[in-house]
Amino acid sequence: MATRCVGLMVGSGEVTVVDTQIPDDCDAPISLVTDVTWKLPTGDRQKGYETLFHRCKDYLEVNGIDQVVVKASSVPQGKANGGLLDSAELRGVIMCAAASACETRVLKKEVISRTYGRKVDDCVNDDAFWAEKLEGAKLRKGSREAAMLVIAHRARP
Amino acid sequence: MTSVVPKLQILDKLGNGHFGEVFLGQDAVHGQVAVKVVSRKAENDDEEWVDIRREFLAEAQHLKTATHRNVVQVYGIDEVEDAIRFTMAYCPGGSLQAHFERGPMTLAAVRKVAIDVLIGLHALHGREMLHRDIKPGNILLDHLGMAKLGDFGLVTDRLLLGYGSAAGYVDHIAVEVWQGRGTSIKSDIWALGMTLFRLLHGQVWYVFQNECPADVIAQGGFIERLRWLPHVPKPWRKVIRKMMADNTNDRYATTQEVLNAISALPTEPEWTVPIVTEDLVRWELQSPKRLNVVEWNIHGQRQHEWRAWSQPLGKGNNRSLGASTKVIGRNQVDRELEAYFR
Repeated sequence: MATRCVGLMVGSGEVTVVDTQIPDDCDAPISLVTDVTWKLPTGDRQKGYETLFHRCKDYLEVNGIDQVVVKASSVPQGKANGGLLDSAELRGVIMCAAASACETRVLKKEVISRTYGRKVDDCVNDDAFWAEKLEGAKLRKGSREAAMLVIAHRARP
Repeated sequence: MTSVVPKLQILDKLGNGHFGEVFLGQDAVHGQVAVKVVSRKAENDDEEWVDIRREFLAEAQHLKTATHRNVVQVYGIDEVEDAIRFTMAYCPGGSLQAHFERGPMTLAAVRKVAIDVLIGLHALHGREMLHRDIKPGNILLDHLGMAKLGDFGLVTDRLLLGYGSAAGYVDHIAVEVWQGRGTSIKSDIWALGMTLFRLLHGQVWYVFQNECPADVIAQGGFIERLRWLPHVPKPWRKVIRKMMADNTNDRYATTQEVLNAISALPTEPEWTVPIVTEDLVRWELQSPKRLNVVEWNIHGQRQHEWRAWSQPLGKGNNRSLGASTKVIGRNQVDRELEAYFR
């Protein structure tokens, strides 16, 4: 039976959500169900976190999602700034919400790179790669990294 | 034998719902509960009464699938003589109808309600249900002030357009439903847009400054005829206009889209509107040491004046912050006040 899998990329003020169906046939492309963004409400961040926690949990439960893959936090190459800490906070909230609703995996960028033997950024910019790996609804270019999480998870379950 | 399990006790009357009366009750398991009592009417013959009871039983079973933190939980249903009783979670904060009647709510309070309701509505829509009767009176506040969707007398799982009927409070019926095209996710979004407009403006402004919706919605262009309080920022108006667009293609398609749009709306500065009458609107904005006040005097349809000042909360002097230079017309007062609040 096909698996419903969601890739989540968390920024400081929004979450990119790529909802997919992974077929049993390993050679068949992943089917994109929907590609949306959840915005963190402006104002008090703690209230916004509560909103996104429930929004995430609800989405996963209502849509019967089997698995979630979240991109892990990483140490910045340059200086850490407030935005980075905000992202990390929100990522924790989303991980918690996802884990309370279904099986959740956190993937590091290096793991994704190793899966394909090339840098994530190269894959993200390669249109041919996406034509081969994904079918169904239209994927926004900005959502490719979230979709990459699902593809890497499928390759290395 | 001595009864160990106490019966449901009916305490005070809370109000009248769409289908009957609502009471505060005391339940052995759930503690305080709301009890909706639907009594048999004189015109209901035996056969009809059996049908009604079947429908309500089906509704109660249906609602079991709608368990959600932003949806009022239904605990059970039973029959007592010639009445049916629904036992539901009690929301001590009451309904937003009382808030609407008191006056305009702040932007922050309305946005919180909108987010709570949209999350609950998303859960309903995701289970292929519609609410079909979203209005301030059907949004209840729990002990933490969290909004919950209530009164599901009209909820249906027949999601396809054309199956729903236009039952519901007429002010909240979307233009396409007036035109006979049936209810849908988009008509729920329309009704929520209307609810937000009403909560932002309060009853007095809604009634005295706007046309009767039931008379004009069906003609189209209703949203362009709504009169806004000048402190309501443009981004808010844009989102509510889109929620209530006549053309369903121009409206938000899902609650997720509305949630994103609502999440980005500003909630500051947090003006309160303690007075709205037919001839005076007063706004207040408090800082630690001062109170900013704006007053709009409505002498007649074409005669308006406004002034704004800052007054100390302790000792000190008032400071003028602006005013109309003379008695001005409606469009001009709207422009000047909107510019002041911007």
